[in-house]
Amino acid sequence: MSKHKISLNVNGQRYDVEVEANKTLLRLLRDDLEMTGTKCACERGDCGLCTVLLDGVPTKSCMVLAVEVDGREVTTVEGISGEELNAVQRAFIKHSAVQCGFCTPAFIVAATALLKRNPKPTEEEVKEAIGGILCRCTGYRQIIDAILDASKSAK
Amino acid sequence: MMVKFDYLKPKTEKELAVLLAKHADEAKLMAGGTDLLVLMRDKIFKPRYVIDIKDIPELRRLEYDEHRGLRIGAAVTLNEIIASKVIREKFTALWEAAGTLADVMIRNRATLAGNICNASPASDTAPALLVLDAEVEVKSERGERKIPIREFFKGVKKTALERGEFVKAIRVPNPPKGAKGSYLKWGRTKGEDLAVVGVAALVANSGKPAVCIALSSVAPTPILVPEVQNAFEGRGSTDEKIEKAAAAVVGKICPISDVRCCKEYRLHMAGVLTRRILKQLVGAS
Repeated sequence: MSKHKISLNVNGQRYDVEVEANKTLLRLLRDDLEMTGTKCACERGDCGLCTVLLDGVPTKSCMVLAVEVDGREVTTVEGISGEELNAVQRAFIKHSAVQCGFCTPAFIVAATALLKRNPKPTEEEVKEAIGGILCRCTGYRQIIDAILDASKSAK
Repeated sequence: MMVKFDYLKPKTEKELAVLLAKHADEAKLMAGGTDLLVLMRDKIFKPRYVIDIKDIPELRRLEYDEHRGLRIGAAVTLNEIIASKVIREKFTALWEAAGTLADVMIRNRATLAGNICNASPASDTAPALLVLDAEVEVKSERGERKIPIREFFKGVKKTALERGEFVKAIRVPNPPKGAKGSYLKWGRTKGEDLAVVGVAALVANSGKPAVCIALSSVAPTPILVPEVQNAFEGRGSTDEKIEKAAAAVVGKICPISDVRCCKEYRLHMAGVLTRRILKQLVGAS
């Protein structure tokens, strides 16, 4: 199997790593870079729990090979806000949009990207943006409410 | 764990053709990878080489020409298609179909070419390409050729591509002036799932309607139903013609029962969706 030297930026920090061809971005983040905020569940593009931003675009990291992200920028939930929680994270707390919490990082990442691109989304647009992420506690109502509420606090 | 392979990333079409000629039996092409990575994880595909086509600039182009129509490179993603105003306005069936496939994050990666090369009977984009009479531009070390989309699907997960050939682009001619198109997908859930039945239609309405319908998830391949045109020849009210068209669709398809639903439900819903899409496009009471 081929190995590849790649250089990528994760949450503002540069990493030079060697990856095997079959390693996914998800496995690189969790196993090699030890950033376990990005969750691993189905590993087949269905559940969306591994959502990260790839050059700012929400992406299922189990569906991307690590070798493909050479020279690119990745943002995980660890890097989604600064010292303080962002508006989406605060709204998730306020609306109790967390049950078991396993899907929460993915929703936070996708919603933060949505509000950056579209600060005042409609409910339909929120549903579209998070449509690829599954919450098996099925608490979608609170999640949608939290994202809409976060959009109100945005200027 | 995923199978082991060597990753190759050619920079030109020519380089790709050479690689594919050399490794055709042991290689898989990767565009978005949203089907390929799953199949490798399930060890259904065990390629020795994975050849990523995304670094080839020619394959990333999405072009529209007033006379020649639309040309979608093999590495163009579905979200790039959805963002195109001209596709939304002139190739509505394709635009709507692209928007129903999987979810927005998958569509950031998944490509139109990948969707047809995967040749799933449940392909969402194939019915739209069938009614729009698209053509597939294909290249190999031996040369280039064009395959009409209507001859592209040869069976479940089988295409007309020959050894060493790859898809360069999909060409879609301009539909007749004023033609209207649409795609309706019926699924178990609103998002993410494969279609129980998918129906694309194109209706050109200059004098008498020219009607074209194609479906997914109801036969071993996405399927065109040319017999629908006969329903619109001759006399009768529009409602009666639509009924005849729905009967022609149900008579032509051969769905199976699977995890999503039984064959009888697919037959029923194919009729329902045909009526619904034709009422929407032909306009009836």
